[in-house]
Amino acid sequence: MLALQVLTNGLVLGCLYACIAAGFSLVWGVLNVINIMHGGFIVAGSYLAWLAYSSMGIDPWFTLLIAAPLFFGIGYLIQRGILNRVIAAPVLVTLTLTFGMDLILNNGMLLAFSADYRKLILSPPLGSFLLAGIVVPVDRLLAMVLALGLTFALYLILRHSRIGRAIIAVRMDRDASLLMGVDIKIIYAVAFGLGAAMAGCAGVLLALIFPISPLSAGAYLGKAFVVCVLGGLGSVPGAILGGLFLGVTESIGAVVFGPEHSVTLSFSLLIVFLILRPQGILGKKGYE
Amino acid sequence: MENFTMASVRSTANRGRRAVSLWMAAVAAVSVFGVQTAHAQEVIKFGAPLPITGPLAPEALKQKQGYDLWANQVNLAGGINVAGKKMKVEIVYIDYQSNTPRAVQATERLITQDNVQFVFAPFGSGAAKAASTVAERYGVPMIAATASSSQVYDQGYKFLFGTFTPNDTLTNPLTTIIRQRLPDVKKVAILARNDLFPLAIAQEMEKSSKERGLEVVYFEKFAINTLDHSSALAQIKAANPQWIFATGYTNDLVLMRKQMTDQRIEAPVVTMIAAPAYQEFIDAAGKGAENITSAAWWHPAVRYKGIDIFGTTESYVKLFKDTYKVDPDYANASASVSGALFQIAIEKSGTINRQKVRDELAKMDVTTFWGQVKFGPNGQITSLEPPIFQIQNAKPIVVHPAGIKQGDLRIGVK
Repeated sequence: MLALQVLTNGLVLGCLYACIAAGFSLVWGVLNVINIMHGGFIVAGSYLAWLAYSSMGIDPWFTLLIAAPLFFGIGYLIQRGILNRVIAAPVLVTLTLTFGMDLILNNGMLLAFSADYRKLILSPPLGSFLLAGIVVPVDRLLAMVLALGLTFALYLILRHSRIGRAIIAVRMDRDASLLMGVDIKIIYAVAFGLGAAMAGCAGVLLALIFPISPLSAGAYLGKAFVVCVLGGLGSVPGAILGGLFLGVTESIGAVVFGPEHSVTLSFSLLIVFLILRPQGILGKKGYE
Repeated sequence: MENFTMASVRSTANRGRRAVSLWMAAVAAVSVFGVQTAHAQEVIKFGAPLPITGPLAPEALKQKQGYDLWANQVNLAGGINVAGKKMKVEIVYIDYQSNTPRAVQATERLITQDNVQFVFAPFGSGAAKAASTVAERYGVPMIAATASSSQVYDQGYKFLFGTFTPNDTLTNPLTTIIRQRLPDVKKVAILARNDLFPLAIAQEMEKSSKERGLEVVYFEKFAINTLDHSSALAQIKAANPQWIFATGYTNDLVLMRKQMTDQRIEAPVVTMIAAPAYQEFIDAAGKGAENITSAAWWHPAVRYKGIDIFGTTESYVKLFKDTYKVDPDYANASASVSGALFQIAIEKSGTINRQKVRDELAKMDVTTFWGQVKFGPNGQITSLEPPIFQIQNAKPIVVHPAGIKQGDLRIGVK
């Protein structure tokens, strides 16, 4: 029973990790930009959910509808106005730029909300249910379903929409798509906007689960890194697989090696993958 | 000055302009030096390295509030009385970004460059231990407002003092009370953040439990930045303890409490250290905070009549509340009392000589709003009886010691 409970916990946690990482993976894969602000966007999404619920009583499920376009817009503008200016520069330049903007975002949130931990507590709480002796927390389950839904929606956009195909085309061959008449700057901005929207929505969902503080941004970013490397850059199914793999490994690892080693384990996995399979589980072909 | 000199060396043209610049720089240097000398006569500088940014930022804020409240009170009263002369107080803060090696550098910078006369230790046992080495080397008295672990004080240092009693002064009374009130509680599970203080107090808890015949059925550590406790909690649930004892900071314990509810883990007694002393834990944990027990070195409900600048505990609590619109917790109060203790030592010795102030601290035996203050030979306070409290109806209620008790211990955490 303990084994099943641990496996369930791992799967649920894995879906949350996938949700954290999907947008990060897209931006890294398509734009070759390591967006250090990703963790900050997630926390900002959590604050949005917390503010909407505590001051206006808006359920986080509805806040998602606000968060997605809002964060898309913010991401689009950041890419169009700032990042596009240095997009052709080596990856370290964009990394440093997003790092700097992350500092601004983080300190802005510290000023606005202070470093105190907040928590979105639904009233009444969603609780948990028993399934064949295994406890399943409802909020995590809902967050998991929504996270999968969001990630699947991103997959559909990339796979079937015209703009999605253009994003993939740019990712495959930037120069060729330029020659085919794709407006690279717009595609980059849309991809970054989608990444930011995913982060914002993830933040809204995570507000139900984790305490909210600007200081959590680093922990989210760390997980996103590991999931991306495990799953493969730019691959949406890869983010889901990477997330699940990490969640289950951490959960089982916490029982086998003790909870103190679960973080060590995730970074050990990162190193092993970087050495043995740097392209990740699904990163080989890289086309959705 | 250094930049100017380098620029001058590089410059080969326009020697006249360079001479003028040199002269101006010299005048500037003299005037700055002059100001500093005048300044130093009026003001006693205290250094406070704090983790103002990074994961420990909430703790830094609490300490800063405590120090600032003391400094403001002193300055409002005209300053510290040094042999009949009133000297104002200035606290120089350095943000060490929650990074212990930087805390050590910050302490050194405060002493060597900012020329502070006395220092407060950085936050927590780990950083305080590391930074105390610097203070000891320069012979600067250092008061640690938030370091309780005995490992901080076992270095044989002469200039380090701490306002927290050893960790077993929290766990011994706690286990004694639970044993008396609930003889059926036999199994304890302990889950600790792998960090100096949270781990040290968890180890003390293990010792206290075993000494009182309790069986420790689970003892594990979790890493800093852990985002999920579900596996550890599933194991705890399987071990079926009657007492769950968890240590960590606000973030860890809010998340853990939430996951305990999610996983339907209940126990007659759940103790968490150190978060429940803070209002933000109570707010963030919501109903989950009910009946959680905890212990701390101080509580606004204690009643002492001090000889320090704040006077009674009530007047300290009122002043703090008027200033910051929240009740003070033990971290705020410890920071304030650290300043007040420096003040008492300076006023008693009638000098700001570091050695003499240190000697005064070493032989100090006074009552303050914080409680009785007497330091042991290793510099750690020995005279406090820390209160045990429980969250009842979203308020911390003192359940021990009997003299300041506000309510009875309630059983059952769901």
